[in-house]
Amino acid sequence: MAEEQVKKRVGIFSLTCDEGCSIYLTEIFNQKLLGWLERADLVYFLSVKNKTDFSGLDIALVEGVVTSQKDKEELEKIRSNARVLIAMGTCAMSALPSGQRNTFTPEQKEEIREHTETYGFLPRALALKEVVKVDDEIPGCPISEEIFIKTFERYLT
Amino acid sequence: MHSCNLDIEINKLSKIEGHADLDIRIRNGKLEEVTLKVMENVRFFNQAVQGKSFASVPQLVSRICGTCSIAHLTACIEAVEKTLGVVPSAQTVLLRKLTMYSLMIRDHALHLYFFVLPDLFGIDSILDLADDKKELIHEALHVKEAGNNLSKLVAGRAVHAPYEQVGGFSHEIDPSRVPILISELKKVRPSVLKLMDIFYNCSWKLERKTNFVAIATPDFSFLEGKIKSTSGSVIEEKDYWDHLHNVVLPYSQASGFQFEGKEYMVGALARMNLNKESLHPSTQKDAAKYLAVFPSDNIFHNNLAQAIEILHSLDHSIELLRSGEFKKEEPAKPTRQSGEGVGAIEAPRGTLYYWMAIDEGRVRYLNLVIPTAQNLINMRGDIKKIVEDACASGVFPDELEEKIRREAEKIIRAYDPCMSCASHFLRVNLN
Ligand code: SF4
Repeated sequence: MAEEQVKKRVGIFSLTCDEGCSIYLTEIFNQKLLGWLERADLVYFLSVKNKTDFSGLDIALVEGVVTSQKDKEELEKIRSNARVLIAMGTCAMSALPSGQRNTFTPEQKEEIREHTETYGFLPRALALKEVVKVDDEIPGCPISEEIFIKTFERYLT
Repeated sequence: MHSCNLDIEINKLSKIEGHADLDIRIRNGKLEEVTLKVMENVRFFNQAVQGKSFASVPQLVSRICGTCSIAHLTACIEAVEKTLGVVPSAQTVLLRKLTMYSLMIRDHALHLYFFVLPDLFGIDSILDLADDKKELIHEALHVKEAGNNLSKLVAGRAVHAPYEQVGGFSHEIDPSRVPILISELKKVRPSVLKLMDIFYNCSWKLERKTNFVAIATPDFSFLEGKIKSTSGSVIEEKDYWDHLHNVVLPYSQASGFQFEGKEYMVGALARMNLNKESLHPSTQKDAAKYLAVFPSDNIFHNNLAQAIEILHSLDHSIELLRSGEFKKEEPAKPTRQSGEGVGAIEAPRGTLYYWMAIDEGRVRYLNLVIPTAQNLINMRGDIKKIVEDACASGVFPDELEEKIRREAEKIIRAYDPCMSCASHFLRVNLN
């Protein structure tokens, strides 16, 4: 009976951050990965794969903040290739903690100015939704396991 | 005919922690330049910690690195405690060892199974393993899960562990979970023995005389001991700065280090070369054949050394879990509010140093020396050797490029570099 269901194309992306959410995701994988792989193809995840094709994504999971022009361009490219974009973790949702420079005193901002100018940083670090449309969010630092599973599985079916 | 010109760029090296690029320039068949560029955007932890209360800073620096957050947390707590005269209880030390073991199990397992095994089997990802090898995926997930569950039990979570704090742990271990965990740790032991055998039989070789440096802990618990080098130095943790030299690497967002004026390597291979007699007796017994390989100058033996460390972490954790009573304890308190101190531990990728200054309970200064930064110069030397050997091997230019790409990525992965960490604390000002 089973008509071969088309698998969802999933990509996992890291902007500026400590990659704690995607690392925690690999711990959630311990129990869940094999089941999910029956319904999804992991097409982009640099921690696990070298091949880097991320066209026509069904689900893009994005962690981190948009701190530089390059981050911004990458996020825009992910967005234009993804049907659903999910922000993973408080960095992606609200720019903290990885965008902690936003909270610096004027003196501290002055201290880091040379670096931010040299490396094409934006005036402040941005949450994903300040740059592109975000379809869903998973809170936590790192992501809450329970909410991740619930949310992700909803988009898998 | 082989005096070719070749520019090889590898953007976004995969299967490492964080972002890095590698550029190689060959002119007239000779290597001109190797640049390993750390591409992580800096998140300015130097500034972020200033003026923060000592109690909150460990959780803040935990966010330097997702994968080895427990190492940052633990080293920072140690620095605060040394600075403020906090003496942790015997139970706290035991729980910290368990926490470090939980990190080693899952972090090394992620590296070996997910990052290195694909190279070994000539596939892109562990998920592409052929059917007759598929059980390795299950084993990978089970070993990682054992580490993850140990983190949960002792420290609350594997990433940004909430229970580990200055002076002690905020939650006690649930005794009803202890036997379950012991049997889980025991159950994955055969998989780890198999993993060791895979890396023991791996023929990859890159030997280049270098110096190895590690803290030699008496029970191989990654926490306290003397810094030792294969060149014969023995140093107190607090004196580390007199022996390390910061080296600015052009074109890179990170800087490198030398130990007593020379390149060196830190990490599992260094620990095995310097301290294998301190491994747990059960590990020594069951890994005897593999341990005979050390001391070794073959950088690829870092993989085997990591696998042995997983076994040790399982074995010592089982013993500690059996021995502990795990009572509720009040955290140990500071005996002063100002000072300077050093926290040094063995993180998965090598020695991690924290130098902290606190004024009236608030952090004034923090300087870190990151394992990957210490390995950068040695890593670059090894990539050079690979390129030079490949150029001298007489293969045709199109094959040469493929060969160099493959071999360079393999050696970089053998170091298990963490670029998220390496990009931080670049500036050194010690006044
Ligand atoms: S939310 Fe926390 S765990 Fe996730 S990427 Fe940001 S700092 Fe890391």
